[in-house]
Amino acid sequence: MNKFATKSWVWLLFLLSPPAAILISLSTGSLDLSWNQLFTILLQGSGPDIEQVIIWQIRLPRALLAGLVGAALSLSGVTFQAVLRNPLADPYLLGISGGAALGAVIALTCGFQSPMIIPLAAFIGALTALLLVYLVAQAHTCSSHTLILSGVMVGSLAAALLLFLLWRAPADATRQAIFWLAGNLSLANPDWLSWGWIWVLIGFLLLWSQSPNLDLLTQGEETAADLGLDVGRSRLILFALAGALTACAVSLAGLVGFVGLVIPHICRMLWGPGHRLLLPFSALLGSSFLIIADAIARSLYAPAEIPVGVVTAVLGAPFFLYLLRRKGGGL
Amino acid sequence: MIQINNLSFSFASAEIFNRLNFTVNRGEILSIIGPNGCGKSTLLRLLRGSLKAQSGDVLWDKTPVGKIPAGEMARKVAVVPQSSTISFPYKVRELVAMGRYPHRKNLLSFQDKTDLQAIEQALVMTDILPLVERPITQLSGGELQRVLLARALAQNGSVLFLDEATNHLDIDHRFELTELLLQLNREQQTTIVQISHDLDLAAAISQRILLLTEHGKIAEIGSPEKVMTAANLQQIFRVDVKVDSNPFTGTPQIVPLINKSNHQLNNLKVHLICGGGSGNTLLRRLHLAKAKVTAGPLNQGDSDEMTANVLNIPVAQEIPFSPFSEQTLATTQNFIETTEILVITTQWWGVGNLPCLDLAETAIHQGIAVYLLAQQQEQDYTGGKAWEKIQQLKNQGVRAVRNEEHLLDELDSLPPISII
Repeated sequence: MNKFATKSWVWLLFLLSPPAAILISLSTGSLDLSWNQLFTILLQGSGPDIEQVIIWQIRLPRALLAGLVGAALSLSGVTFQAVLRNPLADPYLLGISGGAALGAVIALTCGFQSPMIIPLAAFIGALTALLLVYLVAQAHTCSSHTLILSGVMVGSLAAALLLFLLWRAPADATRQAIFWLAGNLSLANPDWLSWGWIWVLIGFLLLWSQSPNLDLLTQGEETAADLGLDVGRSRLILFALAGALTACAVSLAGLVGFVGLVIPHICRMLWGPGHRLLLPFSALLGSSFLIIADAIARSLYAPAEIPVGVVTAVLGAPFFLYLLRRKGGGL
Repeated sequence: MIQINNLSFSFASAEIFNRLNFTVNRGEILSIIGPNGCGKSTLLRLLRGSLKAQSGDVLWDKTPVGKIPAGEMARKVAVVPQSSTISFPYKVRELVAMGRYPHRKNLLSFQDKTDLQAIEQALVMTDILPLVERPITQLSGGELQRVLLARALAQNGSVLFLDEATNHLDIDHRFELTELLLQLNREQQTTIVQISHDLDLAAAISQRILLLTEHGKIAEIGSPEKVMTAANLQQIFRVDVKVDSNPFTGTPQIVPLINKSNHQLNNLKVHLICGGGSGNTLLRRLHLAKAKVTAGPLNQGDSDEMTANVLNIPVAQEIPFSPFSEQTLATTQNFIETTEILVITTQWWGVGNLPCLDLAETAIHQGIAVYLLAQQQEQDYTGGKAWEKIQQLKNQGVRAVRNEEHLLDELDSLPPISII
């Protein structure tokens, strides 16, 4: 009974964490607003006042974008860790980051500055890399070892090409590229926000419907097949879903690190590895985490911004180490 | 039920099976035995359809295994693997619940009453109810094996495949598992195909045994009595074993002949006059010390006679419960004439075996070394005749030894005898 009671508290905490994170994010930034002012503006709705513009047209879209990216990365992190049966897998393991970065930097160095082109190039680059990895590994029955190895190879190849491009590029483009590579939530076109959310929501629902399959895949291909799972088909579906979610996140915000690795772990420690709960809770915690991290990134050196990837790592790593120590390594 | 026709399979580097043919009958327990690396697990995977044969068929009720959909196959047959990867700390109950996957009725596998019942039953049958809340990362090898078995039971298939499912179990749970298998087979007509290295257990529970050679050929398939012969096992496993029958169940029982003897008698010819169990130890120890042993006269059914038979020792036999006939004594005489050493281990003397002492006397006159295991006067039931004879023999040079160890020491220290 006691245990159940504590669990329901955690439930509530998880469900309320994204709205709370959004409120915190809305109240922080270079313009200081009290809670009173904030609630007044929220109740007033959008309008022409400078405060209203800042809250409704700058901070809220920004927070929603952070939430979207955090959720997408956590969901794909959970998926990759299960399918590759490797608790150290993250959304970028299978060459996706390399491909996306290469796509974006090619667009940048070719002189495209438009906020339309760069995300599109990153998206295409990410999926191309994933497809390449999948095709290479499929020739060898797609075991998780070959997938990881070919992912690492495709990633290194992309990294080499990337360095070459940056070496040749003008300094201005290089600076922009580095900012993108460290993860940045200020680049995205606000018009894409709703599309991104629809994308992530559909991705989540499809992934959630696969949660028993994810459970089975953690037991190894042979066992999964013995229990009646069509392993090849199911793995292809899961890769496609996780890849699409990652590509979406990367194209909107660059390479935000650490969220996809650490959030699934924390949720697994709190909830166990069953994916029916793990997926929704990772999405919730991932979005709250990135919203807060972004708020910190914006306000620490306001009006300048530090890359949000720096904040996620600095916040996430110590907390993760604390959990690891307390729980004794049961990843 | 499962029919294997001309099945051939090879990995990239090696051929495993070439044109295999056999059948698994509905409701039987079939054990697959054979040396390491002969392809037992591969065969099980081929039967399950998770490996594809290069040629030949695996037919489940006349349907090729590849044509049966994954879900239907998982409702028919459950597999208990040797071990499992455990990178994720699922609770025992969650892992067992995975066995209900092929029976799921909704996308997210929420469990209904039948599911819960099947899970509960599997947990009880495998004796892991107290473990249900434990993460599988914290289980011992034996506990994990029982959890994997429970998952297979929750699958509720009519066929169960076990790949060395008892190798981590302690003797208590090994017996329990064996009884569980027998119970499933008896009450639910579950067909069981198991790979086992515990040959005695396999012989005890299986209706049939499939013996594979190290090259993946079928050496023999049939009842345990037919397959588990000393000759078959020696040929396939290249070990010195004897096959006895289990004194309680009567099923074949393998007796490994591990030579821990520190005596080396290099084909020394020894004849034993024994009976009533007095020669048991010595027959075995002489055999292990590589002496060429003969024995007799012995009545059929005497425990010494049975030991000698198991060890393939030639015996001068007499029909049960009869005094030794002239003919038997003559056969014994023939044995003794060709031997180098004669040992008398008999402890109880009666009218029936009194002539044996005469045989010993003859042997002394022929120059054969005769040893006598320690005797007791009160075990003479001939009214003193035997005891008197024994004293005479001692005077004629029979050497008395205290026990088997003493005798073997004596024999070991003999100078090599040149045979004339």
